[in-house]
Amino acid sequence: MRSHARPAHTWTRRAALLAVPSLVLGLAACGSHSSASGSSGTGPLTFAVFNPFSGPDASFGPEQLAGCIPAAAAINAAGGILAHKKIVCKTSDSRGDPADAVPAAEQLIATTSSLVGVLGPSSDEASATVPLFNRARIPMFGDTGQAVFNQSSFKYFYRITPPDDAVGYAMAVYAHQKGYPTAAAVFGNDISSQGSLPTVVSGFKKIGGKIVLVQKIPLDQSSYRTEVAALIAAHPSVIFTEADPQTSATYLAEVKQLGHLGPFIGTDGTTQPPWLKAVGNAVSTPNLKRFYVGAQPYAPTTGVPYQLWLAQIKAVNGQVSQPASQWYSDSYSMAAWDSINLMALAMVAAKSTDPGVFRPWIVRLATPSPGAVVVHDFAQGKTALEHGKTIQYVGATGQISFDKWQNSPGAFSIVSSDGSTKVATYTSAQISAAK
Amino acid sequence: MTGSLFVQSIGFGLVTASILALASVGFTLQFGVSNILNLAYGDLMTASAFAGYAVNQAGGSIPESLAAGAGFCALASMLLNRYVYRPFVRHGTKLFGMVVVTLAVGIILQNILLGAYGATFFSYSFSTGGQVHILGMVFDTSQLMILGLSVVVMILVQLLLTRTRLGKAMRATAANPSLAKASGIATDQVTDLAWLISGALCGLAGVVLVLNTSAFQSTTGNDFLVVIVAAAMLGGVGNPTGAMLASIVLGVVTEVAAGFLSPSFKEVIAFGVLVVVLLFRPTGIFGQGATVKEIPT
Repeated sequence: MRSHARPAHTWTRRAALLAVPSLVLGLAACGSHSSASGSSGTGPLTFAVFNPFSGPDASFGPEQLAGCIPAAAAINAAGGILAHKKIVCKTSDSRGDPADAVPAAEQLIATTSSLVGVLGPSSDEASATVPLFNRARIPMFGDTGQAVFNQSSFKYFYRITPPDDAVGYAMAVYAHQKGYPTAAAVFGNDISSQGSLPTVVSGFKKIGGKIVLVQKIPLDQSSYRTEVAALIAAHPSVIFTEADPQTSATYLAEVKQLGHLGPFIGTDGTTQPPWLKAVGNAVSTPNLKRFYVGAQPYAPTTGVPYQLWLAQIKAVNGQVSQPASQWYSDSYSMAAWDSINLMALAMVAAKSTDPGVFRPWIVRLATPSPGAVVVHDFAQGKTALEHGKTIQYVGATGQISFDKWQNSPGAFSIVSSDGSTKVATYTSAQISAAK
Repeated sequence: MTGSLFVQSIGFGLVTASILALASVGFTLQFGVSNILNLAYGDLMTASAFAGYAVNQAGGSIPESLAAGAGFCALASMLLNRYVYRPFVRHGTKLFGMVVVTLAVGIILQNILLGAYGATFFSYSFSTGGQVHILGMVFDTSQLMILGLSVVVMILVQLLLTRTRLGKAMRATAANPSLAKASGIATDQVTDLAWLISGALCGLAGVVLVLNTSAFQSTTGNDFLVVIVAAAMLGGVGNPTGAMLASIVLGVVTEVAAGFLSPSFKEVIAFGVLVVVLLFRPTGIFGQGATVKEIPT
């Protein structure tokens, strides 16, 4: 969902080039840093954004960074964490490709002694790199949607965004609610785009819909005319879809060229600015507005926690990818902000920057407890903790309810092509009805 | 698959083949003359697409964008060969070493584009025109333009190689550079011209590719590289005529496979054809039995 694995040839091409440095870095990682112990002294603490900053999913990194930068600024303004007055965000480019991501993760672990937390990995590289961060005892808040992490045993892995399979159910529920009797599912054949496919198909069938066509399309082809002709012949009343922006743009432009553009519902991978821009250019902005909606994790755009987030991201407007306004209601950036706040507060509560010590506090601080003071950002939480209070962190994405696998799936909203206007919202209980 | 979808898929395959032919002929021409497997080719296509895009955004027409892309890439390719690849060759870098050099150039180029344009997608401003039905096949006007352009360029390349002194000099240089030089052929100038021409084809391919995909970014050309290499190999590496015909085979086979089987299999079938052909004819359909030789210094 949240990413699009590159075609095999791309990583094959680079594998040879990366083999030697990868080996060297791997050995360095093994030799110098078998486990994290947090940063000693009073030096800066580092949160890493480990996501694609280049390659087809290069938009993921800036999205996470747009959550990290305001969080770090807010923490610094509140006096830092324990004796560490300065918090920094460091980027590490996974290139959205396991062949590149593994050496990048090893390098990050081996060379960043002050590393206390990671935003990422995304679906592109999660399977290959989650074990590395886990072994190094670095807490990570993954933006991967892969269902394999729904019940994983990785102690240092957390996720406060919904898994791919839940997205599929949300799309099915919305299509049913809109009265579409038939649907086609058109998904990229990469592992991450496929994440929502089984559940959108099974969910739509379960609630009475009929799937007339399932297409798994190879990414980044020069044309999909034959596939589009087959789609048109199947006469779906709606299309469920996810692929990378270029693939979707090519495919949907050809649907339009053949005069059959109709309603299409995308996963949250489609709600990002690059996808909307590419497809909007391809099918025209009015058509995108008329026919498209996307499912994405629900994040409220009102209330105190949201206002605190909004004020802080506006305060660092010039430091995030432009235009900064694209992140104001981006649920993944907001989740990144919450993730940093939660890890930072866990350190304050545990009085330690050692991940082995503060890790259990992450779940504890998000869980409601009698007498707990509800806080919405780091400053509020730090003050309360310093006064000996018990706290519950409720951030910009709302209440975080970790299950035993440290996942907090949350609710969904269906948004229009501006990426922020909510046309429907579903609780996790409503989504469960389609399961 | 219905009969009508079958016929339509052949038409769609011809469009794919047209783009592929422009790209693979340029690619194979470079290899034929220089023995350099230029894996930066896809990234040069992308750079050309951006050059054409700049013209398009400045109000230029599609033919002007095509000219800009072709001109940019012709010059860039010639300079790349003369000032980057040739020095490596002169210092004794062998065939495999040059593959790594071209890979590195491609990655550098891709990241320059990423840095310059950012991680987002771009689209040319143009109209695809109305639909045209020919023998049960459906095309839009822009696709007919791509088909026409490809046919004209392929004819010109064929005439150049077979009917002109330059073409003969290029073929002589490709066959035996030492002998060609001893025979009075200015092989360095011939090589420069070959890279100019192949670069122009690369640039045209880059622009028509992104016209067809509707959106592109810094990795778009690179994504297309494997199928370009496949067409060059299927046709017999270094053989432009073979690359043209192999492009038609691959273009049509992939589209028909997408209709007959599943779209997931379109590349599988295409590469299956490649493997089978190479199994029985290792030099490709039109290979002359020559083996890959080391790069002439």
